[in-house]
Amino acid sequence: MCQSRRFNLKNQIILLELRSHMSMVTAQHLHKVFGRFTAVKDATFSIEKGEIVGFLGPNGAGKTTTMKMLTGYLPPSAGTASIAGYDIIDHPLEARRHLGYMPENVPLYEEMRVYEYLEYRARLKGICGSSVRKQIGLAIERCGLEAKRKNLISTLSKGYRQRTGLADALLGNPDLLILDEPTNGLDPNQIRQIRELIRSLAEEHTVILSTHILSEVEMICNKVIIIDQGIIKASDTPSNLTRDLRAAGRVSIEFKGDPTEVIKELEAFEPVKKVIIEDPLPGGWNRILVRAEPGTDTREKAAAIIAAHGLPMRHIYRHIPNLENVFVEMTRRD
Amino acid sequence: MSKTDTIKRTRSWLYTTRTIFGKELKSYLGTPFGWVILACTMALQGFWLQAVIQTMSQASGESVMFYMLNNVHFWFYFIFIFPLITMRTFADEERQGTLEGLLTAPVTTTQIVLGKYFAALLFYVVLWLPMLLYPWMSELGNLYTETRYGIIPEGRIEYTPADWYGPISILTISGSFFIALGLFCSSLTRSQIIAGIVCTCLMIMYYFIGRVTELWGEFPAAPVFHYLSCTEQISAFSRGLVDTRPLVLYLSLAIFTLALTKRVVDYRRWHR
Repeated sequence: MCQSRRFNLKNQIILLELRSHMSMVTAQHLHKVFGRFTAVKDATFSIEKGEIVGFLGPNGAGKTTTMKMLTGYLPPSAGTASIAGYDIIDHPLEARRHLGYMPENVPLYEEMRVYEYLEYRARLKGICGSSVRKQIGLAIERCGLEAKRKNLISTLSKGYRQRTGLADALLGNPDLLILDEPTNGLDPNQIRQIRELIRSLAEEHTVILSTHILSEVEMICNKVIIIDQGIIKASDTPSNLTRDLRAAGRVSIEFKGDPTEVIKELEAFEPVKKVIIEDPLPGGWNRILVRAEPGTDTREKAAAIIAAHGLPMRHIYRHIPNLENVFVEMTRRD
Repeated sequence: MSKTDTIKRTRSWLYTTRTIFGKELKSYLGTPFGWVILACTMALQGFWLQAVIQTMSQASGESVMFYMLNNVHFWFYFIFIFPLITMRTFADEERQGTLEGLLTAPVTTTQIVLGKYFAALLFYVVLWLPMLLYPWMSELGNLYTETRYGIIPEGRIEYTPADWYGPISILTISGSFFIALGLFCSSLTRSQIIAGIVCTCLMIMYYFIGRVTELWGEFPAAPVFHYLSCTEQISAFSRGLVDTRPLVLYLSLAIFTLALTKRVVDYRRWHR
């Protein structure tokens, strides 16, 4: 009896130690079925401490469903996940204590005032005593809500609603922030402000955000998870994702004169796979697109060939792939 | 788990439940919603009190409260109080999406259900508080008659404290079940209207269960219907007959309905 207790204690210590080394989020074979529709299929990924992760995918790809499963709002049909080492099914309350969640479209109680709402949420998260005011003060300051603290939520603009939702997620200083489309429906200035805010949050928190604005992800995220039709297509850093892309290494050239000879010589060159003539431009100019192996640079050779033919050239450009290319390549259906 | 740990957990459990309770109570008393219900109920009570005093001038023997509660007209508005109070509790939160925020906070569904239930119940009790003024108003009426016409024993409105304790306790006891029923209806749907209609329908059904013996006469299973009859209980309690059987009935029904509500809230999340 005594021995078994000691054994348990030992186990618990080991568990605690494990937790401190564990990833912030580990999802294992998460699966979600709505009736006949499978929203998420076998999603497995992990997110380390301090990462800003962008969840990308077309509309209806399963981003929101995956996030809702992580928060414990939607129980997975199969599989499980853990947050800060706590399983979302076995220890839901512990897991929820470690996360701040901002749902899509930021549902708030319209009849409450901003401060009142944050106070309610803080107490709901188990914050009590003098730390309630302190936590709310911090969240309000971070989100720039000082001027609106006494306003009714129903009178707030979209940007301030978003900030209120974000302030709510920050209460209790959770390790993990899950933000579902935090910049949805904002104007460019507001988007920039929220983006700065998220970037500043990343110093202390792990952040998961979903969006379909790719430039946003490129700017702030250091990890991207692409999901399409419920399947995780990629989970890597943006630079790793763009490196091996088909679009990487494409060169477009504009020159004057007969393109047939140039194309023949270019296609004989090793890394080049195919050369395509695009629509002729006015004034006798042609534009060709050289498709080559990813990661190669064919500009020098191409320029030499065109010069050897004595043809005038006005433009040569090697495509630098961005996340948009990655996104299109992974999620297109043609 | 050590004892101090248990105490600590219980305390934090109570703290978050009280937070939900406080917020819900505020949403009744801090918005026009609650005050409109209060005003309507009071207006209807006022009309009905006036009508009862008219009838009392012909019949006598029982108290004002007896005549007020033992009438079909009382049920005419009593039934609608419960759907009005409870129809928005879960349905509106689900429609607005705030239920998501609530369920992703570190609180259990039981805490949410209990917080909402006790807030609604307290608001319901507040609805009947003006009734406590009736004895004082009777005294005022008696004083007026005495100063105007001199002391006439037949002109006095007689009352005993039991005339009020009985009705208020049965209204609270039965209300504890009806509020739970309303909460349950609200958890079934995201539309307040549907929640209200279902609740009204169930309330009317329950009312007619109590009247079965009047329609069918006495038969072997009749005692069950007598036991369930809210009208008969109100009649007994407003005569000053306080009985513990309805207490057991309504408390167990309330607990059962609340447990069911908790299940429904969880189930709807699992099978969306």
